[in-house]
Amino acid sequence: MKKILVVLMIVAVMSGITLFANGQDEAVSEVKVGFIGPMTGDYGNYGDLISKGVLLAMDEKNAAGGIAGKVNIELVIEDSEGDPQKGLAGIEKLSSSDKIVALTGPVFTGVSFAVGERVQVEGIMMVTPSGTHKDITNIGDYVFRTVASDGLQGEVSGRYFHEVLGIDELGVLYVKNDYSQGLFEGTSESFEAAGGTVTIAETAQAGDKDFKTQLTKIKAAGPDAVYIPNYTAEMAQILEQASQLGLDIPFISGDGFSNPEIYQLAGDYTDGVIYVGPTQVSETDDYKDFVAAYTEKWGFAPDSFATNAYDAANILFAAMEKVYNETGKFDRTDIRDAFAATKDYSGVTGTINFAENGDLVAYQGVYKVNGTTPEYIGTYTVVDGELVEVTL
Amino acid sequence: MINFILLILIYTGIYALMAIGQNLITGYVGLLSLTQAGFFAIGSYVTAILSVTYGIDFWITVPIAGILAALFGVVIGLPTLRLSGDYLAIATLGFGEIVRNILNNWDSLTNGPMGIQRIPMITVFGMKISPYAKWGFLVVVWLFVLVAFVLFERLANSRMGRALEAVREDEIAASSMGINATRYKVWAFALGAGIAGVAGSLQSTFILSVTPGVFTFMVSIMVLCMVVLGGMGNFAAVILGAFIIQFISYFPQLVGLSNIIPPQFKQILFGLILVTMMIWRPQGILGRKTRGEPAIFKRRGGKK
Amino acid sequence: MGSISEFFQHLMNGLTLGGIYALIALGYTMVYGILKFINFAHGDILMVGSYIGLFTFNAIRGQQMGIWTIVAFFIAMIAGMLFSAVLGVLIERIAYKPLRRATRLAPLLSAIGVSFILSNTAAWAWGTKSRKLDYPFDNTPFTIGGVAITPHQILILVVVIIMMVSLKLFVDRSRIGKAMRATSLDQDTAKLMGIKADQIIAITFAIGSALAATAGFLIALEIKVYPSMGMMTGLKAFVAAVVGGIGNISGAMLGGILLGLLETFGVALLGIPYGMRDTIAFVALIIILLIKPEGLLGKVEKEKV
Repeated sequence: MKKILVVLMIVAVMSGITLFANGQDEAVSEVKVGFIGPMTGDYGNYGDLISKGVLLAMDEKNAAGGIAGKVNIELVIEDSEGDPQKGLAGIEKLSSSDKIVALTGPVFTGVSFAVGERVQVEGIMMVTPSGTHKDITNIGDYVFRTVASDGLQGEVSGRYFHEVLGIDELGVLYVKNDYSQGLFEGTSESFEAAGGTVTIAETAQAGDKDFKTQLTKIKAAGPDAVYIPNYTAEMAQILEQASQLGLDIPFISGDGFSNPEIYQLAGDYTDGVIYVGPTQVSETDDYKDFVAAYTEKWGFAPDSFATNAYDAANILFAAMEKVYNETGKFDRTDIRDAFAATKDYSGVTGTINFAENGDLVAYQGVYKVNGTTPEYIGTYTVVDGELVEVTL
Repeated sequence: MINFILLILIYTGIYALMAIGQNLITGYVGLLSLTQAGFFAIGSYVTAILSVTYGIDFWITVPIAGILAALFGVVIGLPTLRLSGDYLAIATLGFGEIVRNILNNWDSLTNGPMGIQRIPMITVFGMKISPYAKWGFLVVVWLFVLVAFVLFERLANSRMGRALEAVREDEIAASSMGINATRYKVWAFALGAGIAGVAGSLQSTFILSVTPGVFTFMVSIMVLCMVVLGGMGNFAAVILGAFIIQFISYFPQLVGLSNIIPPQFKQILFGLILVTMMIWRPQGILGRKTRGEPAIFKRRGGKK
Repeated sequence: MGSISEFFQHLMNGLTLGGIYALIALGYTMVYGILKFINFAHGDILMVGSYIGLFTFNAIRGQQMGIWTIVAFFIAMIAGMLFSAVLGVLIERIAYKPLRRATRLAPLLSAIGVSFILSNTAAWAWGTKSRKLDYPFDNTPFTIGGVAITPHQILILVVVIIMMVSLKLFVDRSRIGKAMRATSLDQDTAKLMGIKADQIIAITFAIGSALAATAGFLIALEIKVYPSMGMMTGLKAFVAAVVGGIGNISGAMLGGILLGLLETFGVALLGIPYGMRDTIAFVALIIILLIKPEGLLGKVEKEKV
């Protein structure tokens, strides 16, 4: 019995702390925005990188006086550990304890679905900079993204590979996670629709570091090119091991390749890789300024997801500012409406518009790596099943 | 605030179901099984697939989930129960990983790593039990816990419960008394698996989506922690154990600590508490209700 | 499967993958042999050792690649080993020793707690990004009969054999080894015989942890260094140790190589998707345990560390 009492006392004390910790609720000198992403665990790297895009945008805005020159923004980061259950706990806390007005993130598809359903009911808008599953934005009108859906990337990639690069037989090596699977499905579908054949599709498990078996099989099958739509660390392993096995087939990839970390991990093995990613990012001065600011502040360069997050945050802050100037407060629904009404926003990733369903109206850029430097080749989109080159 | 506490209580309820099952297997029969994650996953996917693909009502999917998980319990139990101690642990852990691996690769059935979304909410008499409203869902979950608690408690005090304890204490003696040890073990395994399957059903209608990535062996480990921390062989204690583990996991968020500490500290804190608790009370907070210590958990390093 | 050279390429790939499992399994099996519990933190000790090695190497290697790079590499490896050994002993003192007389599950859970603490402290202190450990030698592959082999693959296999043989000699022949075996058989009786069991256990932890660091540092050349690097490979290595007969040094080696070959050829020969290789590994584990419940080379009590 004594033991139970001890436990109950601990619980009571802890709950007591809770009550005190949540006592404050002051005037509108500060407004809270949430972020949910994996901050610990295997993919903690991505949560870290992406949240720092949002943090940079916040710091810049606050340094300029905050929203409307007087309201400071605070970003509250909750760790999802990549687990929807933890993600739901995060949004619960952000929504009821922190009373956030809008959410940036989540980072990955699984958590995005769970949290998306929730914010839709709750009436909090969310914008994911990296959740690429084509159905995420179909959850409802409170769900947005600043990343192209893997539907679009897949359509452009498949057609570009066949029609422009002239690849007939494609080999694929993808990891069984939602991101890579999505790109594999989208790309192989459009590649075959365009007239090519996927001759060999090999898989790997999340967390794998050894890809020699699959690469040996691909080498024996001898496709024209190998598509590797994976995360940075995995692609670095694949490129290095392909060279160790003497695999002399061109590699092509997706937006995961836009993370400059690849050049540190894979070095010269990146030479000659062609990848399809976010539009035009290496071109504009705005982009260069952003990369410089990000790198100076955090000590490493941003990837395309962090760049998307930076734009997402800035668009959100602009929407909040508009609402605040008009109404003097931060209403969640008003912010959602203002965000949706964004038109031709000039961000570091280019001109941003949202489609009816909250998807980013996007084009895809194509890059070819020369040594360890990506060189911009062109911008494409797909209209009525036809690959179209876009001049911006 | 109150909503967040309700959330913790819902998670507690779902995990308490698994812990009750684990307690029957580990606390009563003395088998170190690490496979609740696998049965949890099977239950989740049964409800997800049946309700999304075939439009079957949640209440019909629950018994199917439970029975299917129990069947898998028999399938894995029959061969592996011959193994002892850590060998059984690693074999059952392997089974859990196999389930997750298959769910992740069987694209046509499970949609692979993309998972299944838009799982319909539970309805009671035509009324939707939204996971966001909390109270309704909380009541549903804890009704399940209550029923499971009563059933398992009665079972433990029945002829079967005594037989299980006899098997745990001395399998050879029990066999010579005419107790079919293997049959009872498999039964316990199936029941423990079945209840984890039911927990999976509830989980998928709470999250409203399933992905294979979350059913890692850490889930099994957490459930085991709940049982050991609460007190083996004591159903009320393992429910308390479930609460404590969930409470520790979410405590930093509950008090707003997660706003100021680096995210890793939450995990470090969890680790510290686990180590401290074990050193402080290795036999669990409430300890065993039944007599004796299972043979395989006997004090180590010699005859005592 | 196609040509003969493809077969030998798969064989080589499988052997090195297995060699990596075996490297980690050796440390696991040491600790298990004496304390009879699954040290879940083993993979995390491996990770910490790799970080220390990486930092040391980058600090002292200099610019030019040459003899000094290789010397620096070994100095770094030893630094990692020493640090891990101290860490291992410390962990044993704080988190496991008080539980030596508790139920068998208590140290298991305590080890899980330690694993949480180590991996997250590392992630907090050193970040979650993968870090590259440069090869201290030229790792350009050479080709024999169409089979590409890297010097690193050879290195792994050589080290694993050296480690296994010296460990076996140490345990079988040396005085400390003898004391270890006695402690493993019966701690209390060993104490009565004048063996300082606590000291022996500490030594076992030190060696096991140093082995982990060596393994980590060597595989880091290939898989990079990151906070969760010990986790999944560690689990597989444990499976390897069990397959071979846990507590048995030759068994760890056999189990590791076997697992590596099974995973590689399961994919290459049977056409199973590689994404399913965990299934291959665990099904093999269950089958082997059903046929030989003590693992392939298990059973002989005397063999245990």
